[in-house]
Amino acid sequence: MEEESIEEREIRSWKRKLVGAWALTVPIMLIMYSGMVFGKPIVPMKFMPLVLLALGFPVIFIIGGQTIRMGLRGFYTFYFSMDSLIALGTVVAYFTGPLSFFGITQDYSGVSSMIMTIFITGKYIESKAKGRASSEIRKLLELGAKKALVVRGKKEIEIDISEVKIGDVMIVKPGEKIPTDGVVVKGGSFVDESMVTGESIPVDKVVKSLVIGATLNQDGVLYVKATKIGSDTFLAHIIELVEEAQGTKVPIQAFADKITNVFVPTILGISVFAFLGWLLVSQDLSRSLGVAIAVLVIACPCSLGLATPITLMVGSGMGAKRGILIRKGEAIQTMKEVRIVVFDKTGTITKGKPEVRDVYSISKTNENDMLLKAASLEKLSEHPVARAIVDYVKSRKYKEVKNFKVLRGRGVEGIVGGKKMIIGNSVLMKDKGISLNKINSKLEELENSGRTTMIVAEGRKVLGVIGVADAVKKDSRSAIKRLKNGRYKTVMITGDNERTARAIADEVGIDEVIASVLPGDKAKKVEELQKDGMVAFVGDGINDAPALKQSNVGIAMGTGTDIAIEAGDIVLANGSLEGVVQSINLSKATFSKIKQNLFWAFAYNIIAIPLAIGGVLHPVVAEIAMALSSITVVSNANLLRRKRI
Amino acid sequence: MKKIKLTIEGMHCAACSGNVEKSIKKLEGVSEVRVSVMTHKSIVEAEDNVSIEDVKNAVSNVGYKVINAE
Repeated sequence: MEEESIEEREIRSWKRKLVGAWALTVPIMLIMYSGMVFGKPIVPMKFMPLVLLALGFPVIFIIGGQTIRMGLRGFYTFYFSMDSLIALGTVVAYFTGPLSFFGITQDYSGVSSMIMTIFITGKYIESKAKGRASSEIRKLLELGAKKALVVRGKKEIEIDISEVKIGDVMIVKPGEKIPTDGVVVKGGSFVDESMVTGESIPVDKVVKSLVIGATLNQDGVLYVKATKIGSDTFLAHIIELVEEAQGTKVPIQAFADKITNVFVPTILGISVFAFLGWLLVSQDLSRSLGVAIAVLVIACPCSLGLATPITLMVGSGMGAKRGILIRKGEAIQTMKEVRIVVFDKTGTITKGKPEVRDVYSISKTNENDMLLKAASLEKLSEHPVARAIVDYVKSRKYKEVKNFKVLRGRGVEGIVGGKKMIIGNSVLMKDKGISLNKINSKLEELENSGRTTMIVAEGRKVLGVIGVADAVKKDSRSAIKRLKNGRYKTVMITGDNERTARAIADEVGIDEVIASVLPGDKAKKVEELQKDGMVAFVGDGINDAPALKQSNVGIAMGTGTDIAIEAGDIVLANGSLEGVVQSINLSKATFSKIKQNLFWAFAYNIIAIPLAIGGVLHPVVAEIAMALSSITVVSNANLLRRKRI
Repeated sequence: MKKIKLTIEGMHCAACSGNVEKSIKKLEGVSEVRVSVMTHKSIVEAEDNVSIEDVKNAVSNVGYKVINAE
């Protein structure tokens, strides 16, 4: 059976109390007010206090028993909570019942049941809203697959996910979830990774591709060797990140927390003074008690204390759904001050691996032929540039290659289709005595735009040139444009030379380039930029850690299965720069919601408590106001979800 | 230094998480306490001499129940 979460258990428990409390309180109310409504009470006046006490006892001491115990406990441990106020308020009210027998005071025992019932109702609604606030995060927890089909010996057996071991080969059919992180060893398919990275376009997975547990296999059968299990998986890391962030402080909350900490004792004091004051002035014990009870139950530390955590929870959940993991609550407050966004180049703006960007063949018709021959040859090389050419051509029928040789640092050669092919840089061509006259201007043009050039020659004749460069991620440009529209200054820091760096910066539209920076100096450059304003640094987390720490908000790219946990305040699971724009928007929206909630919570208490002291509010009205105020705060937090980011 | 993670039941208001935080912080050797009323979880960073039992007691002293600790 599915294990029940704490939230569900709490909702269920409040619901049970709610039903019980109303079942008794409705009759109590009928009895109390029947005189007013029907002109004649349904229970003779003589017995009324007894009946109310009898009906009220289970409401206060059994159904509300936990609240009473927890609350009264505060009076000897001095750890007061919300319960202390309600407990004292209801217990005092209840015991006015017996006192009323002696004509000492008016009977508030019926009122006491009503207060407890409304309190429970408020708590029930609040627990539901809290459940809704954490629903996205809970969904993450439920995301993982439960079972895995693994190959053991020659048999395929279905086992529980917890029994999967590293090295097991799992068979994942179309439409199924990938059980745990691993590497494809056979088969190929498109995989929907949106649940963990927020990226909605399915990713093509072939042999050697890394796959993430809990992502959805779409159309092919995949054989996946498990590489990470249990708490080491990508999903487990994400959940840990998001959950750990919940206890972190948002600075604006610090003041509210200080108030919350002294709130309950202060209210207790105010209530006593209000009681004594009223007694002194009015000489009316009943009235004074009513005021004291109203003060106790109207004060609402909950809305103050919950304003930030519940909003942070909703914000974190919204982020997690989009692959934005907020690690530190502080970041959402700092974010609104940020004016400058600094990007690392490789792996952040660019994909961090070379791709074919230009193909130039001397005779146009032979372009495909040249590429096919080049790819056939490069297929035998392990060099990243060679890999880029093969990936670009992606042919099914490569030509046969003989006498393949790697010419270290210069290129490769071999016999393709009976003819000698050479691919490499201009140094290699010069060594081989091949004339570059026909492509010299093209070479210069490509190199000026930051490309690495691979010259393709057949025999002693140049066929053409292939320009390879680290490609820009597909949404880097649009993301930077959106940042500039938002009046952020954009800066790129890189260890590359000025020319290569400028080429990339121009391509994506970045304002300022700081090139030829040694890896250790990035943090120093960030520090210099901080003189002009708050800086957010976006880096891929592995070598950018000092700069991420130095900046006011560090945004780490936690690309793919390798998630850099310790580096940033915010981690982008999918490594897309759109995530930077979204996390800025999300932070701003979440923070303004927090401010709004704190405002309401403070305003409520500042207005309501004096009204109660002034004796304007009946205790039941006071309790209704209190319940409404905390419901307002939690519901308002949930409204954040409507915000488009 | 070690990290203790707790799941705590019964915290239903912000003053509650504040109480838990205060109570755990009073233990000698505890350097950081984070309590979330939303996730019902607490993360405690402490010296090695602080035992899980100590932390559990600190929580139950203020009236809440630890249902899971690691």
